[in-house]
Amino acid sequence: MTAIFEDFSDIDDLAEGLDDPSPGARIMAVIELADSADPDAIPHLARAITDTDAGVRKQAAQALTDFDGPETAAALVDALSDPEAEVREAAAVSLTELKDPASGDAILPHLGSQDEFVLTACLAGIKELRRPEAMEPAIAALASPSQVVRVQAVGVMGWLQDEASLPALCGAARDPEIPVRKAALLALGFSSSEAAQAALAAGLQDPEWQVREAAAETLAKSGGSGCVAALTGALADDFWQVRLKAVRSLGRLGATGAAMQIGPMMDLPIPNLRKECAAVLGELAVPETRRFLDPYADDTDPDVRKNVRWALDRIAAA
Amino acid sequence: MPLAQTATSVPVTIDDAKCIADKGCTVCVDVCPLDVLRIKELADGTKTAYMKYDECWYCMPCEADCPTGAVTVTIPYLLK
Repeated sequence: MTAIFEDFSDIDDLAEGLDDPSPGARIMAVIELADSADPDAIPHLARAITDTDAGVRKQAAQALTDFDGPETAAALVDALSDPEAEVREAAAVSLTELKDPASGDAILPHLGSQDEFVLTACLAGIKELRRPEAMEPAIAALASPSQVVRVQAVGVMGWLQDEASLPALCGAARDPEIPVRKAALLALGFSSSEAAQAALAAGLQDPEWQVREAAAETLAKSGGSGCVAALTGALADDFWQVRLKAVRSLGRLGATGAAMQIGPMMDLPIPNLRKECAAVLGELAVPETRRFLDPYADDTDPDVRKNVRWALDRIAAA
Repeated sequence: MPLAQTATSVPVTIDDAKCIADKGCTVCVDVCPLDVLRIKELADGTKTAYMKYDECWYCMPCEADCPTGAVTVTIPYLLK
């Protein structure tokens, strides 16, 4: 932040502070190296992350957030096994900030780690790097007894968007744990295959509403002919959160055939749902739905009123 | 802005033993959006941060960014 205002010395001069006997001075050296934003600081920060003082190691792990590349990733992966939890956690957070696909070179060898924390952090770190080599270890990680590992493994597959992961993702959609099922259904949005459609439609029958909500949301991304029928069925879900996502997805799919089922939902005493229904009825612009909207042009909720008036204008212009 | 001339009960307190201002650290001073923190010299010659102006917004970056965990922001009960 202060880099543009300060006249920094040579990186090697700044790095001399890492040899100061005072941990406070070493922390300041780490901060100055980070503020330099100079990639030449990376080797010095990689050394600081092995300092004898936990405060210095934590600061170095945080400082490496501002850098990228294999050397940064290697230092952070090593810090995942630090004896101090605060250092491990800082390194795990910094790993998720990596954007250079080459950084994955240092993470890939650790995707078979038996340590739950290391494996979770490495899966989370490799996710956005979209390295195809991460696919197999991610599928293997679905057998982990830890649900946080399985959620991150599903995340890796979701980012890779490779049809080869469909069987594993469909299997994860039947996981015993809610977060894993939910993550798997959200990850299936990239595919419009029959297998993905079937898994998402089955997700709408899940006993947990959070999972049904994820299925209703993702069906619109997946698309396909069977989606509209499945989503129309979800309009009668016990939970309004699921109904809201189903309405929104039907709007995105342009399902004019569902407009007459959505119309009566304007009478429900849930402003969030009425707001969404009005917006979708405007999107679909089916003239017969005007009678469902008219009574709510002066709704007590300003967001509902706004959407109803916009919907009525759209229908009038159709 | 009221000026605190003497030690009073202020929301931002600094643990002098942990503060590394005498090593050149000014993180809390730099991140404060209201610019209410300053560095002062103690009787023994060391330096520490302190809250000079009692105008805290309780936005917390001084506490979160302090590299040694020396800063504590006490949030009034009614704001919690």
